[in-house]
Amino acid sequence: MQARTHKTLRDLTRQKAQVIAVAVTIALGVMMYIATAGAYQNLSASYDATYDRLAFADLVASGGDAQAVAQAALDAGASEAISRTQVDPPLLIEDTKLLGRVISVPSGEHPSIDDVDVIDGDYLEDGVTDQVLLERHAAETFAIGPGDTLEVFAADGWATVTIAGVVDSPEYLWPARSRQDILGDPHAFAVVFAPEDAVAAWFAADPNQALALLPNGASDATRDQVSDAMEAAGASSVMTQEEQPSNATLSEDLQGFDQMSKAFPALFLIAAGVAAWVLLTRRILQEKPVIGTLMAAGARRGRVLRHYLGQGLWIGLIGSALGVVLGVLANSAITTAYTGFIGVPDTVIQNYPWMIVAGLSFGAVVGALGALGPSVTASRTAPAAAMRTQGTAKPPGAWSAFVARQTWLPTSGRMALRDLVRSKRRTFATMLGTVLALIMVLTSVGMLTSIMQAIDIQYEEINLEDATVVTQRDTVGADALAEVDGVAAVETTHLGQVTVVGQNGSYATALHGFEPDTRMHGFVGLDGSRVELPAEGILAGQALRDLLDVEAGDTVTLHTEAGDSDVTIAAFLDEPIGTAVYATNATAASALPDAGVDTFALAFDEGADRDGLRSTVTQIDGVVAYQDSRAIIATIDEYLGLFWVFIGVMIVLGTVLALAVMYVTMAVNVVERTGELATLRAAGAPLRRVAGAIATENMLATIVAIPVGLVLGVWSASAFLQTFNDDLFTLELRWAWWTLPAAALGVVLAALISQWPASRQIRKVDIATVVRERAA
Amino acid sequence: MTPTTTDAQPDERAERSGHTEPSVRTRGLTRIFGEGDAAVEALKGIDLEIASGELVVILGPSGSGKTTLCNIIGGIDRASDGTVEVAGEDISTEDPGRLSDFRRDHVGFIFQFFNLIPTLTARENVEVIIEMTGRGDKGRVPELLEAVGLGDRVDNFPAQLSGGQQQRVAVARALATDPELLFADEPTGALDLPTGQQILALLQDLNAQGRTVIIVTHNSSVAQIANRVLTLVDGRIESDETNTSPAAAADVTW
Ligand SMILES: Nc1ncnc2c1ncn2[C@@H]1O[C@H](COP(=O)(O)OP(=O)(O)O)[C@@H](O)[C@H]1O
Ligand SMILES: [Mg+2]
Repeated sequence: MQARTHKTLRDLTRQKAQVIAVAVTIALGVMMYIATAGAYQNLSASYDATYDRLAFADLVASGGDAQAVAQAALDAGASEAISRTQVDPPLLIEDTKLLGRVISVPSGEHPSIDDVDVIDGDYLEDGVTDQVLLERHAAETFAIGPGDTLEVFAADGWATVTIAGVVDSPEYLWPARSRQDILGDPHAFAVVFAPEDAVAAWFAADPNQALALLPNGASDATRDQVSDAMEAAGASSVMTQEEQPSNATLSEDLQGFDQMSKAFPALFLIAAGVAAWVLLTRRILQEKPVIGTLMAAGARRGRVLRHYLGQGLWIGLIGSALGVVLGVLANSAITTAYTGFIGVPDTVIQNYPWMIVAGLSFGAVVGALGALGPSVTASRTAPAAAMRTQGTAKPPGAWSAFVARQTWLPTSGRMALRDLVRSKRRTFATMLGTVLALIMVLTSVGMLTSIMQAIDIQYEEINLEDATVVTQRDTVGADALAEVDGVAAVETTHLGQVTVVGQNGSYATALHGFEPDTRMHGFVGLDGSRVELPAEGILAGQALRDLLDVEAGDTVTLHTEAGDSDVTIAAFLDEPIGTAVYATNATAASALPDAGVDTFALAFDEGADRDGLRSTVTQIDGVVAYQDSRAIIATIDEYLGLFWVFIGVMIVLGTVLALAVMYVTMAVNVVERTGELATLRAAGAPLRRVAGAIATENMLATIVAIPVGLVLGVWSASAFLQTFNDDLFTLELRWAWWTLPAAALGVVLAALISQWPASRQIRKVDIATVVRERAA
Repeated sequence: MTPTTTDAQPDERAERSGHTEPSVRTRGLTRIFGEGDAAVEALKGIDLEIASGELVVILGPSGSGKTTLCNIIGGIDRASDGTVEVAGEDISTEDPGRLSDFRRDHVGFIFQFFNLIPTLTARENVEVIIEMTGRGDKGRVPELLEAVGLGDRVDNFPAQLSGGQQQRVAVARALATDPELLFADEPTGALDLPTGQQILALLQDLNAQGRTVIIVTHNSSVAQIANRVLTLVDGRIESDETNTSPAAAADVTW
């Protein structure tokens, strides 16, 4: 046993470079698996740790008598329920007016649901009414902290409060006012936690939200039961934890890791399996005489089978052991970087034994599977046939005959064409390497270009306004705003939250009102054509069609605090980001509750100073909020920064995959052709011509595979993108003009680079020795 | 069946076969394989001259160093010590690129197992050499194959040819660059007697047209066709005999 293991390991050190290339491919596959699956588990665990510690609400009910709704939740099986007040008033932070959010918390003690984590300063002392806690994102955006002040626009004017502490909240790990606002202007949103008494005094409001915690491990049935009870007690809507905007956004992101942890490692493992197959087939062909001798001497078939399977298994195990180590390191790096970037207070880094076992066995299985075919062939060789060195050459097929007629081609070209078909296995492996690399690169690049183009379309063709300004009713006119230096146009608009209720469901979203001939918003229909704002009825984002099971022409109900109104859907819109509904100002005004404000859309002059405009406009008396539409692009760019890193890593890995597989196949090509190469060299053919002929042949397989890879890559990119499509994103696969040519060129370059070791190998061929071996 | 080659320019051939200038000259040629304890001294000081136009058979038992000698003179292996001058060039000091050019310009090899490229037809096997070395004339390939008796098989693949036919292709291939020196290492080793005789006749014929032909064999019968027989034993030349009346290939048996 010992001796045999030693022999197997020693055998692996021959063709060392090829064995390493296969092992590295396996290692990368296993690494990606451990890193991404581990990151998925760890990030989920990190969120869970924070959610647990801060008692993240399972259900949030709005409307009705909040205390009664909370009591109903307790009666229906909730383990804990509280009520609180949430208001979205204008805030003034460091000279910037914005529409913020004030949430009531008890002073002196933490809330028992949706608690906050004080990361700077102190929690609110018992009885204070002039202090607040500021959520971390706003504190960072405005660079303020404990001791600084801000102003809250209360019923009787601006109230100045002091920041007691900066906090993390489980509800705002991703700062979003609503599901529609997940990518917003960071200067246009801030969350303030204020003492209950202060909130009651500022807004003269009773609690309007009830939060409930379910018992640990509660079933969906319990959840539905509690939710139903809350609605029955008067709540107008109940939001589950999954629907909570921050959590929904973050778990969508997490799903990406989950998908990646399956798809990409699989590509590598397939490639590695095929490379192992090519390598071991070659090796067994070379060792046929030895196998024959062994079997003639009485070696059992099973023994031969196990010997070669063992080689595959070892390559797999060595590769996956390396992959596990790299994966564990990458896992903790990814988790730490990600929780740091998002600002998740808890970072759980754990390595899951089952994952490591799975990683190791993936590698072992891939190695063994790659070795299976060749090993069976080896064990079936008849001893006599195995000892004959000259293989029985097959007569040429139709392809060879066809190529022979192509006399316009140089002979070496014809040789390359025939070899493509002669070494089907090798050609297949080279093509597979090319195809898989293209799939990997195109899928990740396609994701990026589609998002970039979606943003372009959204902000170049659809959201045409540069900023939205909210003023107290009748304080600032459109004319006054138009006079501001840098403002090119001003239009009156409306904006409010509605619940769209259709046949088969409801969806909470934003209702935008515009002038009938607005130039602040471009309406694009499903067929790509322009759509006019209808005099009656609404235009709706296309996701509503499936969400509510409605068609154009159907009537839906717009539900708000002010009541219900029935409207017709005039048409659906193709908008890449978000799902909103649009109507004329008149229709919107009649559907939305009166908030006592006017809303304006602003368009700027070319090259206007956006920061200057923000501070000028927000300083106008009567302006209560200001949102720069383009600031979102900066947010997205930052977010895309992470994405670029991801794409970069994918391109590097895709290239490594292509290089590793091509290197193995090209090296095997040279080994298989040593006799021919030596003969050509003996006749005085210069090295560069011989290397060139082999390279031509190797490159041919790559080039033949490129169209296949492009087609499959585009298909895979589109399938991958589909999994991201929902009410937040309607992404269509869009390529920058350079994407496909660049990907093809990249693969060709990778193939060319892998010619280099092949030509070194040809240079090293000792003509005299090879010729002698043949003549021995 | 006695094929004739028609590729020689008469006056040029005459000049080469003048037996005047030595085509090959070695002095103190040694070749050691491996190092230290494992070192094998395959050639132990060979002093040798072969004149242009000779048909030399290098004879000797297996392992005596025949192939090694032939490979060094042909420029595909290197001497450990000593000098090797072929066609006026000192090839013992040349770099690999120059050595490759030397082979292209001066020598042709014929191997025991033919070493044809299986994916190329007979014609293409010859053409590819011309294409890759840039020496020779592709238009003459059918003529070359005709000359070795394969006029009707030019478009066959090696798998469709018998061993003797394959060796003929190998001969035509060796002639593609019109070399003045032809090396044949055990050219009949993989062939039956009649086929072997035909190949030897072909080589004899090529020699008659003025080429220097060096045949390596362990088969003393083959030596009868040579006009000079060098016997190699254990890396040394044991005898060097001239044969004034070489036998016709057809009369040699083994
Ligand atoms: N590459 C090599 N490495 C080590 N020994 C070699 C090598 N090539 C040949 N030899 C040894 O050199 C000697 C001469 O070999 P060779 O020229 O092939 O003899 P022959 O052709 O007469 O049979 C033999 O002992 C052989 O084992
Ligand atoms: Mg020999």
